[in-house]
Amino acid sequence: MNRSWILGAVCAAGIVFAVASPARAHHSFTVFDMTTEKFIEGEVVEFEWTNPHTWTWINVVDEDGGVTKWGLEGMSPNFLGRRGWNKNTLKPGDHVEIVIYPLKSGEPGGTFLRATLEDGTVKVMFGRGP
Amino acid sequence: MVARNSVRIDLVIARVALALVFTLPFGSAGAQTPGGARPAAGELPDWGGLWEVTFAPGIENEPAALTPEYAAQYDAYRAAQQRGEIEDSPSANCVPNGMPGIMTQPYPIEFLFTPGKVTVLIEAYSQWRQIFTDGRRHPEDPDLTFNGHSIGHWEGETLVVDTVGLTTDTALGGSFGMRHSDEMRIVERMRLVGPDTLEIATTVHDPSALTKPWTTTRVYGRHRDWNLAEYVCQQNNRNFVTEDGKAGINLEHEE
Repeated sequence: MNRSWILGAVCAAGIVFAVASPARAHHSFTVFDMTTEKFIEGEVVEFEWTNPHTWTWINVVDEDGGVTKWGLEGMSPNFLGRRGWNKNTLKPGDHVEIVIYPLKSGEPGGTFLRATLEDGTVKVMFGRGP
Repeated sequence: MVARNSVRIDLVIARVALALVFTLPFGSAGAQTPGGARPAAGELPDWGGLWEVTFAPGIENEPAALTPEYAAQYDAYRAAQQRGEIEDSPSANCVPNGMPGIMTQPYPIEFLFTPGKVTVLIEAYSQWRQIFTDGRRHPEDPDLTFNGHSIGHWEGETLVVDTVGLTTDTALGGSFGMRHSDEMRIVERMRLVGPDTLEIATTVHDPSALTKPWTTTRVYGRHRDWNLAEYVCQQNNRNFVTEDGKAGINLEHEE
């Protein structure tokens, strides 16, 4: 266990703590693995600009060539609308790279942390930037 | 010319009407009533804009001093959480938090001052509270509701709000496992502590649940350029919690 690992773990715990209080409004995060950042990329199927959460549906090509649709829970339109997002930030057909906390169950879903759009723009939804 | 004159007359009528609205119901400024002093509208502080609770460190709030019965209940809840038996609370099913939790959601609130009443619009779950400042008292036997029955009075520029009639379906404090009785009474002291900073000190009284009153202080930041937005939790809620506390997510999606 080296020092940078410990530092990273402490930072990760700090981020979770820092954002957990405000974001906990609607539900707890017990279903998500808040210790593992997972990276997925694919084509946006739909970006639901809805309460209590936005939902991003994205087709991801698996290692075996099959396509799996992932569902990503995000912050609400109320929260995001005040922080530089709008209903067109993600559009069907956009190719995006997204960092998530995956579901513990192994189902194709998670909490949306941040995305890199086609033009390289990084949009942070939850927690701090990269 | 006729149109311009009529506009002016409209303006005059509007001004007179406004003046009547803001003077008549208050009576003489500062008159003592059962609810305390009632300042005229022009004397009230400027709480315009939206307020969002900040989670900045700095304010240390003491933990609640629970009575043995309520402490045992809370400990059992937390133990069940640690065993993974209780994963979430009813808010996952879109049930609003009720008082006092509804005041510290990560969504803004807005204060409306009208004669005899302060209305708090709460974006989370599209809730509102009405705080009567017309001198009335609480009902003798209030209905038990999520946000309760609130009366308020001004002490200088501090709005003091007294709330009773709170359903025991909601929590006493931060955790859903911390319960309260139907005797719970909440006193809030709200005041500006900076040009764009509002402080609310919330004291919970509950002789059944608490061995002494429990005060927590929170600070809100002003956002003058924000507008309230709709929050219909049932619109697309894919989270759920079962009656025995198990959490889940619905990933069914049709294109």
